[in-house]
Amino acid sequence: MSFGFVSPWWLLLGAGALLPWLRPGQPAVDYSSLAMMPEDRLSVAIDRGLRALTSLALAALAAGIAGPYALEQWEERLGTGAHIVLLMDRSSSMNENFSGRYLGGTAGESKNAVARRLLADFVRRRGDDLFAMVAFSAAPRYVMPLTQDREAVLAAIDSVGDRGHGITNIAPGLAMALDFFNGRPATGARIILLVSDGATRIEEESQDMIRQWFQDSQSRLYWIYLRSTNSAPLDRPPTGASDDASPEYLLHRYFQSLGVPYTAYEATNPRAVEEAIADIGRLANQPLRYLEKVPRKDLSGWCYGCALILLLPLLAAKSLEVHAW
Amino acid sequence: MKARVGRPFAGLAAAAVLTLLAWADPRIPLERPVFRYLFVLDITQSMNARDYHLEGLPADRLGFAKAAIRRAITDLPCGSQAGLGLFTTQNVELLFEPLEVCRHAGVIEDVLEHVDWRMAWAADSFIAQGLNAALRIVKKRDPAPRLVFLSDGQQTPEDPVRPELKIKPGEVQGLIVGVGDVKPVPIPRLDRENRPLGFWEKADILAPVTTTAYLDASADTSHRRGNDGSLYLSWLHETELRDFADTAGLGYLRLDTPEGLSLALRDPALGELRVVPTGIGWTLALIAWLLVIWPHLVPDPRARHVSG
Repeated sequence: MSFGFVSPWWLLLGAGALLPWLRPGQPAVDYSSLAMMPEDRLSVAIDRGLRALTSLALAALAAGIAGPYALEQWEERLGTGAHIVLLMDRSSSMNENFSGRYLGGTAGESKNAVARRLLADFVRRRGDDLFAMVAFSAAPRYVMPLTQDREAVLAAIDSVGDRGHGITNIAPGLAMALDFFNGRPATGARIILLVSDGATRIEEESQDMIRQWFQDSQSRLYWIYLRSTNSAPLDRPPTGASDDASPEYLLHRYFQSLGVPYTAYEATNPRAVEEAIADIGRLANQPLRYLEKVPRKDLSGWCYGCALILLLPLLAAKSLEVHAW
Repeated sequence: MKARVGRPFAGLAAAAVLTLLAWADPRIPLERPVFRYLFVLDITQSMNARDYHLEGLPADRLGFAKAAIRRAITDLPCGSQAGLGLFTTQNVELLFEPLEVCRHAGVIEDVLEHVDWRMAWAADSFIAQGLNAALRIVKKRDPAPRLVFLSDGQQTPEDPVRPELKIKPGEVQGLIVGVGDVKPVPIPRLDRENRPLGFWEKADILAPVTTTAYLDASADTSHRRGNDGSLYLSWLHETELRDFADTAGLGYLRLDTPEGLSLALRDPALGELRVVPTGIGWTLALIAWLLVIWPHLVPDPRARHVSG
């Protein structure tokens, strides 16, 4: 952990802490013959103590004014909902038109635009859940950590409206999404919400690895399938013998073989999102304590608190001060 | 004689009250310059080149740029906003729209930390097209944020005709930040697990490189003509970046230190005045400090010092 100051020049005020040692803070009182006063150790000690208090109070105030902060702090948060990783297809095929309608959108809308509204709608209505976001095309991109910061998740979803680029490569995306659950205690339902238009094949080797990870993390997979005008519904088996006949169908079959709960929702169905939300609502969750990074934590409050504690005995001493005999 | 609660006591009591108030961290709405930035970060592989040598900071361009952005964002006043986008090939893709920097600091920093060259969806690097894409994205936003485009200006493959920037000067405000050093250095070639595989050679680049972390086209050796075995070097193409900045009416800054970027981004000319809750605790504490030190600075004139 490292520390810093917002405006370090104010630390020069700390030099004022020397002043109480050089000059007394109490007004002197006339006395006819000081030589007659016996030396009093207690008085000397009290004098030193008061000077020390003043000195420290000045230093604490100066430190507070300079605005000290700590970097790289972790703060414990408590999450109660499901843990949902939004896995968003950002490949160029998502720029194509969507064949159905969603929330009164027109049929000529791009799949990106539909996905954006659909996800925003979903996040707004799942109040207590933790969300993370991964975008993928040829490579996966870490977009949002698992967080309850809804505004940030919505800001990430908002940027999905721009054009996507690259091919669809779903396996690394799934791997990155599953990685969010790696090494965390499983206290809530773990969901990977895939929003994609499919159109991809996963190699045999990756298939097995991803299946294993799904089972290890006990995650569920929800696929919101955005169908293009010229692709088939998920549950229609390919008519030809060719493997490429319907990659969406093959992906659907693969997901069914994962051995974890899996549901596909077709976004053409306006109730698809309602169903997904209701399904997630039925899952049981326990509260999860997790750490969230706080990059800069203001510490000036501590300085002011110390200064106040030092000032109170000074105030008491001041009230006992004798001004004249 | 009657003991009275004098001015010194009142002063000290006031100091204690002010300190208590400062501790409560009061905020009042004040008009202050705040900033709205969209950071677009070049994640092409030339950004893996290592030409920074500052103690405690990453040596590679991307790592250094990330550290600088992080520093700049932490130094922005609360109420400012920062968004983050990535550039590779000819395109820019945003990770998130501008977010308020204080409330969302944790998330912003976490995302920034995870930015990686392996997020690239393709491997070429056409700076002008990328800049055009960034400008287009900024223009589309309302209100338009200021663009901060961080790149080494390395064009791969070389393009004989430089494309035009499709922008009228001043339409978008912001800064092009040149990352790297003008001295040529080799570009590390890394595998998907970030393990070094040596350096990129010229022969690899003669044909367009399509190798990203997830697309391996290096097995295709048909383009390895004219391999003289020399390394493909990369340096900060400052003249080109300056030209782009002039054409687009953007500022230019060479990234030497994180402090430099942070300072440039707090230039009031790039900000706008907005009413934001402003902490005034430090002013109260300053008054308290003066009240505490006052009796030591100015002896009470009514009292005479006793000698001997």
